[in-house]
Amino acid sequence: MAIEQKYTDLINADIDGEISDGDKVALEAFLSENAEGRALHAELTGLCTSLDAVEPAEPPRHLRHVIMNSVNPPSPESAAPGMLPGLLAAPALRYAATFAAGVFLTLSLVSSDQISNRAFDDVTGLVGSVADPVNAELVNSVSVDESQIAGTVSLRRAGTMLILDFDLVSADPIEIEAGYTDPSIWFNGFAQLESSGTSVSAKSGRVTLGMQGKRRYAVYLHNEGGRQTTVNLQFKANGAIVHEASLDYEPTD
Amino acid sequence: MNGDREAFETLLVQYEKPVFNAAYRMLNSRDDARDVTQTVFLKVFENFDHYDPSRRFFSWIYRITLNESINWLGKSKRLEPLQYEAADEGKGPEQEVDSANLSENVQVALMSIKADYRTVIVLKHFLGCSYIEISEILEIPEKKVKSRLYSARQLLKDALIRTGVH
Repeated sequence: MAIEQKYTDLINADIDGEISDGDKVALEAFLSENAEGRALHAELTGLCTSLDAVEPAEPPRHLRHVIMNSVNPPSPESAAPGMLPGLLAAPALRYAATFAAGVFLTLSLVSSDQISNRAFDDVTGLVGSVADPVNAELVNSVSVDESQIAGTVSLRRAGTMLILDFDLVSADPIEIEAGYTDPSIWFNGFAQLESSGTSVSAKSGRVTLGMQGKRRYAVYLHNEGGRQTTVNLQFKANGAIVHEASLDYEPTD
Repeated sequence: MNGDREAFETLLVQYEKPVFNAAYRMLNSRDDARDVTQTVFLKVFENFDHYDPSRRFFSWIYRITLNESINWLGKSKRLEPLQYEAADEGKGPEQEVDSANLSENVQVALMSIKADYRTVIVLKHFLGCSYIEISEILEIPEKKVKSRLYSARQLLKDALIRTGVH
C-alpha cells in the first residue's frame, strides 16, 4: 500500500531537519505502526547520507584567475579609457592595443645575447605584424594546474608571427623556459598586460621568463617560413621543474 | 558593480566553489563546469545593475548557474541517458565504497534523472539549500519543492541501487 503523501512529506522533512516538533510527534506515531514507512525512512536516510558524503569537486586552480582576467579592465597605462569595451572583448585585441607600449617596455627589460638584430631593428614592422589581431588564430593551448603555478599558455599565429600567450598566476617566483629547436625561428618581442615586473631574456632557441603573481604577457616569435615547430615549456620553482608542456604548430597552408 | 573588481573578487572567492560544483553535478564534466562557471561570473559582472537586491544574492547566482547548466546541456546534446556501469556481482548494499567511487556513482545516477529532478538534488545536497531557499531559486512553491525532491530521491535511489551503491 502506498504511503500517504502527507507522511512522505514528513519523512523527507525529518531527514532534511525541517520538521516541526508537532509534525515530528505525528511522524513517530505513524512510523511506529507502519513498517513500509520505516523502510522508506531508512532508505531515504541512507540515500541522503551517501549524497552528503560526496566530496565537493575542487575548481581548477587557475579558474579564479582566468575569470578575473576576463572582467579585468586594462590598467590606465595599458590602454586609453575609451578603448575599454573593445579591449575587454578579446585578449588578442588587448595585446594589439598595448603591443607598442609593451615592445618599448621590453626593450628595457630584455637581456639578449644571441637575438638576431632584426628582432628589434624594425619595431614598426613588428607592431604592424600583429596590428591585425583578428587574424591571430589560436593554434594550440595548454593548461597548467600545479600548486606553484596555474593558468593557461596559448599559441597563436598572426602572419609570420607565433605568439605565446601566457595567462598565469603563481604565489612564488617562477621561471619559465620556452624552447624551440628550429634555428630559423627567433625571439621577436615581448608585451605584457595589467602587470609589470615580468623579466625576459632570450638566447638562441630559448626564451626565459621570470614571474610572480598574476601575469598576462606574450612572447612573439618570428617564424619566417611558417614552418612546423614545437615550443617546449618548462616551469621551474626554486630551480626544480614543476611542470612541462609543449605546444605544436603545424602549418595549415 | 562595473569596474569594482574588489567587490567582484570577493563574490568570486565566496561563490566560485559552489557554482563550479553545481555546474559539475549538472553537467558531469569538469571542462564544461569550468566554462559554465566562467560564463556565470561574467553574467554576474555584466548584469549586476539588474540584480534585484530584494532577493538574496545566492538565489540569483545559483539560478543563473542552473539555467546556464541546463542551456549547456541543450547545446552540447548531453541529454541522452548515460549507460549504467553494470554492478559487480560481489557488490552488496552494505559494501563500503571509497569517496571517489561514491562520487562517481552518484554522478552517474544523477545524470540518469531528468534535469528538473537533478536540479533539486543539487540545490539540496550539493549547495545545502533549504526548502524555502530552493523555492526562491527555482521560483516554484515550497510544496512543489518537497514533492519534486521526493520524486528525485526515489529516482536517484533506484539509479544508485542499479550501480550497487545504495
